[in-house]
Amino acid sequence: MKTLFKSTLMLLLMLPMSFFAQESVSGVVSESASGLPVPGANVIVKGTTNGTTTDFDGNYTITNLESGDVLVFSFLGFATQEIPYEGQTTINVELDEDAATLEEVVLIGYGSTSEQDATGSVEKVSSESFNKGAVVSPEQLLSGKSAGVRITPSSGEPGGGGEIRIRGGSSLSGNNSPLIVVDGIPLDQRGVQGVRNQLNSINPNEIEDFVILKDAAATSIYGSRASNGVILITTKTGKKSSPLQLEYDLKVSAGRIIDKVDNLNAQEFRQLIESTPGTNPDLLGDTETDWQDEIYQTSVGAIHNLTASQGFEDFSYRVNYNHTSQTGVLKTDVYERNALNISLNQDLFDNHLKLALTTKGIVDENRFADQGAIGAAVAFDPTQPVYDESLPFGGYFEHNTVSGGRLIPQLQATRNPLALLETLDGRGKTMRNITNLNAEYKFHFLPELNFNVNAGFDYAENEGHNRRPTFAAANGLYIQEREYTQEYSGINRNTLLDFYFNYKTELEALDTEMDLTAGHSYQEFYIQNNDEFTVADDPGYRIEPTVINRNSLESYFARASFDIANKYLISGSVRRDGSSRFGGDNKWSTFPSASVGWKIHNEDFLMDSNALSELKLRAGYGVTGNQEIGINYGYLGVYSPSVGPARYQFGNQFYNTLRPEEFDAELKWEELQTYNVGIDFGFFNNRLSGTVEAYYRETEDLLATVPVPAGANLSDLLVTNVGETVSKGVEVGLNGTIIQKEDFNWDMNYNITFQDLEITRLSLGENPDFFIPQGGISGGVGNNIQIWKEGYDPSTFFVFRQVYNEAGQPIEGAYADVNGDNEITEADKVPYKKANPDYFMGFTNTMNYKNLDFSFTFRGSFGNYMYNNTQSGNGFVTAGTVTPQDYYSNLNSNVLESNFVNNQFFSDYYIQKADFVKLDNISIGYLFPGDKVDFRTSLTATNVWTITDYEGLDPEISNGIDNNFYPRSTNVVLGLNLIF
Amino acid sequence: MFKTFKSILLVFLGVALFWSCESDLELQPEDNRSTAENTFDSPEAYKQFLAKLYAGLAISGQEGPAGNPDLQGLDEGFSQYLRLYWMMQELTTETAVIGWNDGTIKDLHAQNWTSGNEFIRTMYSRLMYQVALTNEFLRQTTPELLDSRGLDGAERENVAGYRAEARFLRALHYYHALDLFGNPPFVTQEDPIGAFLPEQIQSQELFDFIASELEAIEGEISPVGTSEYGRADQAALWMLQAKLYLNAEVYTGSPQYDRAMEVTQKVINSDYELVEDYQKLFLADNNENGAEQEIIFPITFDGNNTQSYGGMAFIIHAAVGGDMDPDDYGVSSGWAGLRTTSALVEQFPGEAESDDNRALFFTEGQTKEIDDISSFTDGYAVTKFKNIDVDGNPGSDGTGEFPDTDFPMFRLADAYLMYAEAHLQGGGGSLSEATNLINELRERAYGDSSNNISENDLTLDFILDERARELYWEGHRRTDRVRFGVFSDRGLWPWKGNVPQGTTTGAHRDLMPIPASDLGVNTNLTQNPGY
Repeated sequence: MKTLFKSTLMLLLMLPMSFFAQESVSGVVSESASGLPVPGANVIVKGTTNGTTTDFDGNYTITNLESGDVLVFSFLGFATQEIPYEGQTTINVELDEDAATLEEVVLIGYGSTSEQDATGSVEKVSSESFNKGAVVSPEQLLSGKSAGVRITPSSGEPGGGGEIRIRGGSSLSGNNSPLIVVDGIPLDQRGVQGVRNQLNSINPNEIEDFVILKDAAATSIYGSRASNGVILITTKTGKKSSPLQLEYDLKVSAGRIIDKVDNLNAQEFRQLIESTPGTNPDLLGDTETDWQDEIYQTSVGAIHNLTASQGFEDFSYRVNYNHTSQTGVLKTDVYERNALNISLNQDLFDNHLKLALTTKGIVDENRFADQGAIGAAVAFDPTQPVYDESLPFGGYFEHNTVSGGRLIPQLQATRNPLALLETLDGRGKTMRNITNLNAEYKFHFLPELNFNVNAGFDYAENEGHNRRPTFAAANGLYIQEREYTQEYSGINRNTLLDFYFNYKTELEALDTEMDLTAGHSYQEFYIQNNDEFTVADDPGYRIEPTVINRNSLESYFARASFDIANKYLISGSVRRDGSSRFGGDNKWSTFPSASVGWKIHNEDFLMDSNALSELKLRAGYGVTGNQEIGINYGYLGVYSPSVGPARYQFGNQFYNTLRPEEFDAELKWEELQTYNVGIDFGFFNNRLSGTVEAYYRETEDLLATVPVPAGANLSDLLVTNVGETVSKGVEVGLNGTIIQKEDFNWDMNYNITFQDLEITRLSLGENPDFFIPQGGISGGVGNNIQIWKEGYDPSTFFVFRQVYNEAGQPIEGAYADVNGDNEITEADKVPYKKANPDYFMGFTNTMNYKNLDFSFTFRGSFGNYMYNNTQSGNGFVTAGTVTPQDYYSNLNSNVLESNFVNNQFFSDYYIQKADFVKLDNISIGYLFPGDKVDFRTSLTATNVWTITDYEGLDPEISNGIDNNFYPRSTNVVLGLNLIF
Repeated sequence: MFKTFKSILLVFLGVALFWSCESDLELQPEDNRSTAENTFDSPEAYKQFLAKLYAGLAISGQEGPAGNPDLQGLDEGFSQYLRLYWMMQELTTETAVIGWNDGTIKDLHAQNWTSGNEFIRTMYSRLMYQVALTNEFLRQTTPELLDSRGLDGAERENVAGYRAEARFLRALHYYHALDLFGNPPFVTQEDPIGAFLPEQIQSQELFDFIASELEAIEGEISPVGTSEYGRADQAALWMLQAKLYLNAEVYTGSPQYDRAMEVTQKVINSDYELVEDYQKLFLADNNENGAEQEIIFPITFDGNNTQSYGGMAFIIHAAVGGDMDPDDYGVSSGWAGLRTTSALVEQFPGEAESDDNRALFFTEGQTKEIDDISSFTDGYAVTKFKNIDVDGNPGSDGTGEFPDTDFPMFRLADAYLMYAEAHLQGGGGSLSEATNLINELRERAYGDSSNNISENDLTLDFILDERARELYWEGHRRTDRVRFGVFSDRGLWPWKGNVPQGTTTGAHRDLMPIPASDLGVNTNLTQNPGY
């Protein structure tokens, strides 16, 4: 209060003063070591808001000075200098690198450390190395940047979310996504309802950095949610003592698909139908339609960011408004976001109390396209027209029939793909607020002791509807009678309160720095959803009962770190978590970790080495958990009433039923043990630096949805603790500055990850042949293409071995008789290949020449295979000719190669190599420095080029089953950035 | 600015502290779900739970027609009890084939299924699920628990009756498990709920258990004529006893035709009687068109109240395809799957044009012989079940998706046929009575006595054929063929053994395999021989 009063007073006082003082000073700010100019350095008159920043050449001019003012020169990574103004006309400043700030601070969860002192596997990715382009969701910034982190970009839908896997995930049925902590709030790992990607709530433009915690030594402070790694996202805040800065950033993008599913065209299709015995070519139309051309379009998008930030001596703020809109390459798909981010920082009592408030308000609006159109477009008869005004289906052509004297769509037939899209009015809106208030108090009587309290609140409310007009053939049974309507709404609420004490001191007698932390956390998640919709048998709506799910987590945690003689690091942490999802003795569990590090470069024998600037060995062990098992009352027997037409007749009355649900009172935590060793090195003043890391992980008491022994429970499948997995891997990350000259700079980042994941135990029994089918495919009900089995990767395919003739043609229905019983039964299916890669890599180059910058990123993945369900589902003659009603379906062109007549869903013919190298991103930019305004323009292309042997549309589909995949578009992005 | 900031801070800290006070790890459902304790606070819960036990035969989950399924291992529509049981009993024999591509569905008719067959697995899971449900009902209705919940008066008496019906249903499920799998896992209300490994029971012991259960509850279950439609009465219990004893030799090695005769007579002497028109038994209004006097134990369906993609929706929709007009069957569309083989068609003199009005086939655009099982037009379609009433009006669901037609699981005509068979097997009764009973069925079939049989015509082979003519597609055929020894290593029909003319298969196929998935999980189980 006093401070604010003072600054306000000062402002008031200064206002009239400025009429007298008209003096100014200018100069150049440069680096002391290299003499290179420092652009963007802050120059401010101490104790005022009067300030400026240096231009691209390090020049600055500051006016309204009077003798006795103190000029403060600051820039991140350099020691701040204060120079009194006594009437000089020029003040040139050389800034020294600040050793203390150079040792970059990294968050590690409930505290921070320096990169030098980290003993766990911790990697920080800052904004300068983010992927460029019209990035809507934050995870895309990271793609290809970090070893051990695999980010599968979302499908082509606007605002879609990618899949993040750190070290491949650890669970089978549980959640495999990392815990994401945004400005101190762990997000609900299940996401929020109604949005395509919950991370879209974090504006990528506002992200300062990501810190990725990979091994248990780093993550176990997050205990029961840490098995899949943790990503800490820090958003930007205003800098103290910096002048008002306004920034406007615009990115305009356009995208289109570059490939389509290879289908028969109208002529080929007609020929095939006509030449197949028993067909009726009269059912064909007489036009030529490429249905894929009908449903896809050029997508366009724009992202606007308007930011204001300013810093005073004790107070700073940053306000950002974002508007994002994007259409999909699939017609009618639209994503729109309006978001306001506010960050306020206030220091009180001589910096003893620091308050930070960050709040993000997001309105996320979607029009959801009917993605069924993608499958419909590859199956719909290409000889039929798009439109037929003579039919009562809103002008669209549909396969039709007469029933009860009425012209109705054939109910079993494929629907007109364009009509599917254009008749669906599917909209949803989610309003979300994520607010975090952090107070950090440094005790007056004991400044080494810190108290940190964090109150977080993440609230989202969504509502939406799906409607189709009366004439829409997709309404099926109630066509023409009434429109289809569905209304839904929901609430997600996540509240957090945590606090911890931190005590940092130097034990001089032992030449040791000690850092102790202990705290408590309570977090509660509340989810509610409501659904009502038109149903066929009911004149009104069906209103589904409100579903409410609440779960909570309470935790105690502590950490101790010692740095002995600046050489030997020892760190240990423990977390005790209690979860409402488990009962009795299983409610609480403890997750410990320990790690050590040796800073060899600080040893005497290396102190004088010029070449070697850093060498550190690390090793760690820890236990983490996973409680994201999808159910809340799994240990408790509950009863569910039936809703809707699930009543049973006794006499003349219909009774709703009551069902006891399956449960396992013994349900307990899934536990993951991780061993990790790593080496960090840097040469030539860290011009070349890198990390090599190896890990071994064992998941025990694996929570999986498995077949329960029949009769033992109230379902056929049960979430229970069964099985074990082992995963191991090696990760290498290298950073190098290839060229470092006054005008030209070239940085390179390369990372490669080798991974191996294996199920080592799966069932309650001991049968090694036991397996669980996984990976549902399109074509028939209940067909699966993958298995979980002991000794195999969980994404392993399970197929028949195709037999080929001498010409290399697959012989239909001829498979290897693996068990030699002269019959081909499913006992002849074998595990074969897998969807997970053996290794993957990322490669980024960034170059600057004067004001020109250029960067590109390659990503590659090797050893991964794909089940080409697009071919297997439509690539045989009877898929087109044997249909339940009077119509024919289009076929995949692969049928002309395989010549299959009947389905061969389980042939390994369709398991195809899906190694790839992608040029993800290529960007060029130019900065026009100005006196008042800096103007930067850039041109970026994303998803530019893919090298692969895979025959389908895209070799990168996370579960390894290519089935009606929403194609990714190739985009061109024009960027403009103005800084005032 | 700080002032605003300070008030935000205070509100925030205040609210945060309030939450932290609520810190709670003992959370219970807050929506329509509730714990057992809270559920049975309301006395109506018992009847609703009983309704679930019965509904388990008709619907597949808690939302109807689909959603929140009971079983998760297979598509919900496929996982429905009647649909699976019907597939096991009919698709494996000459009476039915299916053309779809779903998983291993065609292996059922080809008789080359393995222990990995997901339909067999789900049948097994469904049976054991129903057993677990009935066990839970018995656990929740012990006198001690009812005392502690203060349930008394009429409802207390009702619950005693419900318990008898729950035990009847459990016996029914165990009977199906005995018939299909021989030696299933065995659990009763004494076992816990969890992830333990149930013990396997041998067929002789299971037979004894079912027999003793049925005897024990005979006096507690409603006498004929006193129960609500849809609920089991004593005649339903006698029918189950009759089936158990008629097949005793298959299950235990020693025949008990005398006991079969005894209970069959009880059924015949009860108030049930044949409906005059055979077709009425399979129509949308078969709960009120007179057929209800013949149907002893139905699985009830209702177009607006009891919806499932299994059950009658499957049996009627899947049988419609080709040139058939779905409107004629009271449904919106055909699923084009089920047909029959020439072996059934040829059971009727004159085949599809037979004077026997039980020959309900659709032949237009269909071939009698099957060249390609996948093609709906290969093989005659069967029109036995329809979702129209006696006047030809469609069922109550205006969209024509979900039929009203009830499935006659047990009906009087079956008792007549069982009487005749038990008599021929030396179980007692009289030949003239047996012949009379068969002739009652034949007079109904032909509309007059012109095709009545003489006492000399009544042979076991005749009974097997007559059972096909009377009871095809009603879920009896596999059991009948196994009892007569003509299911696997004897007996031929088209596409048996996956060849057009049919071939014999291994005798071990009289029993279904214990699913590999359960063998893998439950180490107490031993696979049936031959698999």
